[in-house]
Amino acid sequence: MIWEILEAAIFPGALFILAVSLFYEWIDRKFYARLQNRVGPHLAGPFGILQPIADLIKLLSKENIVPAAADRFFFTFTPIMAPTLILLACMFLPIAGLSGLISFEGDLIVLIALLSIYTIIVYLAGEGSNNRLASIGATRAALQLIGYEIPLTLALLSAAISAGSLSVAGVLEAQIERGIWFIAGPQVIGFAIFVVAAQAEMERVPFDIPEAEQEIVAGWEVEYTGARLALFRLSKDLELFLLSGLGATVFLGGSAGPVISGLEPLLHAVYFILKSAVVLLIFSIVRAVFARLRIDQVISFSWRWLMPLAIILIILTEVLA
Amino acid sequence: MSFEIPIGPQHPIHVEPIMLRLKVEGELIVDVDVDVSYLHRGIEKGLEVRPYIQGLYLAERICGICNCAHSLCYCLNVEQLLGKEAPPRARYLRLIVEELSRMHSHLLWLGHYFHTLGFETLFMYFWRDRERVMDMLELITGNRVTTAYNTIGGVRRDLPQEAEAKLRRALDYLEERMKYYEKVVDGEPTILARTQGVGVLKSSEAISLGTVGPHLRASGIRHDVRLDDPYSGHDEVPFNVVTHDGCDCYARVKVRLGEVVESINMIRYALDHLPSGEYRLKIPPLFKAPEGESLARVEAPRGELVHYSISNGGTNPYRYKVRTPTLANIFSVVYMLKSRGDREVYIADVPPILGGIDPCICCTARVLVTDEARRKRRILTLTDLRKYSQGGRRVRG
Repeated sequence: MIWEILEAAIFPGALFILAVSLFYEWIDRKFYARLQNRVGPHLAGPFGILQPIADLIKLLSKENIVPAAADRFFFTFTPIMAPTLILLACMFLPIAGLSGLISFEGDLIVLIALLSIYTIIVYLAGEGSNNRLASIGATRAALQLIGYEIPLTLALLSAAISAGSLSVAGVLEAQIERGIWFIAGPQVIGFAIFVVAAQAEMERVPFDIPEAEQEIVAGWEVEYTGARLALFRLSKDLELFLLSGLGATVFLGGSAGPVISGLEPLLHAVYFILKSAVVLLIFSIVRAVFARLRIDQVISFSWRWLMPLAIILIILTEVLA
Repeated sequence: MSFEIPIGPQHPIHVEPIMLRLKVEGELIVDVDVDVSYLHRGIEKGLEVRPYIQGLYLAERICGICNCAHSLCYCLNVEQLLGKEAPPRARYLRLIVEELSRMHSHLLWLGHYFHTLGFETLFMYFWRDRERVMDMLELITGNRVTTAYNTIGGVRRDLPQEAEAKLRRALDYLEERMKYYEKVVDGEPTILARTQGVGVLKSSEAISLGTVGPHLRASGIRHDVRLDDPYSGHDEVPFNVVTHDGCDCYARVKVRLGEVVESINMIRYALDHLPSGEYRLKIPPLFKAPEGESLARVEAPRGELVHYSISNGGTNPYRYKVRTPTLANIFSVVYMLKSRGDREVYIADVPPILGGIDPCICCTARVLVTDEARRKRRILTLTDLRKYSQGGRRVRG
């Protein structure tokens, strides 16, 4: 029992996930900066590696303002829900082993559902702050969901069909059995769709429309300050961890790899981190080489290109399976 | 359901205070109201109470980025009043620094423009290359931003010995970079999606709204003060007027990219054919200008800049008037931002459209009277201002 609690709380549970997701934010920022011919964070810790933690602590210590017009319940409830939901979703990922802390048949569906609920939380956070800019941002977030959610689901489902299992562990197991990662097959299309849709899920360029700084200031999070904003920032880092980890698990064989007995959990974690870091770098490159699209362009792009592509992928998977 | 969205007076797309009240239905803009009067600094009045040579420093500070154009326009204006002309070498040196500052302004604009589109990488690239131009400005004039180079009767210092070789190296580098940027802008689908067909301003509309500068040239009209009214050796240095028939935001980007290349070639030609001799006339610091009036026009990076002055024979100008290019262009922004007919404008189009004119609000502010008690606002007309200046009745809001 105690062992299980320690697993959920420390390794490979909450604490480990939080630490790695902050580290991922650093990788993302540093790599993005290098792509842009900048230095990036370099003051806190060696190579600025502690910068995300410093930012988080700084935000936590800032004044926490609740606007008079805001809905107090949603304004307090959503910042707590956002990181909690994503952290819960992270528990499904096989990190230090071949199955996640929570694993059952159909957990892939639960994971996708949690991602959608997160967007609803974002919508509530925006509308709850009762600000005109936040309201537009929240509406954009909900609209964007219509665009990317179905292709994302189909891309993950095609991998599940190929594996013959609806659980994350099952998808991973199928890749180990065949000795080949899903990306080295028709699922490479699925991976491309996943990268695009994940970028939209995380609200990063070219899909950072709900919080477009130059248009609607900060969109749905415009009224959030201090600890509340820190929690939203943290949930973004966790989302980065979750989606790069999910991409690595479903398409790159996740935590699978040659192991030495006795060191299994550690080696699995190392494989997981290395592979998801590769996915993370792909996310960073996508962020660096595009301009932001307009909301109508995103919807028409995903329904005109991503959706047919995802359906073709499903058919292809069925035919080849 | 329609509601109002404020863009400004404080907003991330613009560091200067401008207020756009957008009336939106969902994402669609149905009406827009613009207010530029947050930053009236009384510079025109300030110029009237200073001797001509002191006014030069004030005129230079009307705008930070086009300071070179303002000081040049002021000098040309005063030189006209005095009936003097800068020596040939000074004219060429003025041209070199003016074109350098145009490059600096356009590179800054291009970077900022892609920043408004959310393309941060290109923003960083452009601003890094702009540093080369800033270094050159520092080398020639001694200052990076406010150059303080032009003076009444010429320029303040000669071209330094080592400057020419360094300048040529920087120009070669920038020419390469501009080719690269042309390729990026033409080949990047997200940039094309955000700029093509956005903020369309047809040639006839551009003329009737009185737009100037690169904004007008992007609507396909060949208008450039350097060509129509050469003021500083532009009749001797050959150059092309860059125009584009796109009439949209994409055309505005292309025109400015082309103008940077033109500026590079102009500076090269001016360096090759730099006349020798004096670089400034000997004019005493305190002088009286003969009675009369004069008007000078300069093609500032943002468009046609007009300085007008009346002298009554004293040491100060009697009246001074500045018409900055942004004031001429702001009307077209209001026009472009309204959805009309099949031309739909979304909230996401505000940054590219407003940014497209290269707005500089601090030179644009105008007088607006706000009556707090009655919550009414009224912009003073020319007649009102004239009455006010003649000490007539008190102006009411």
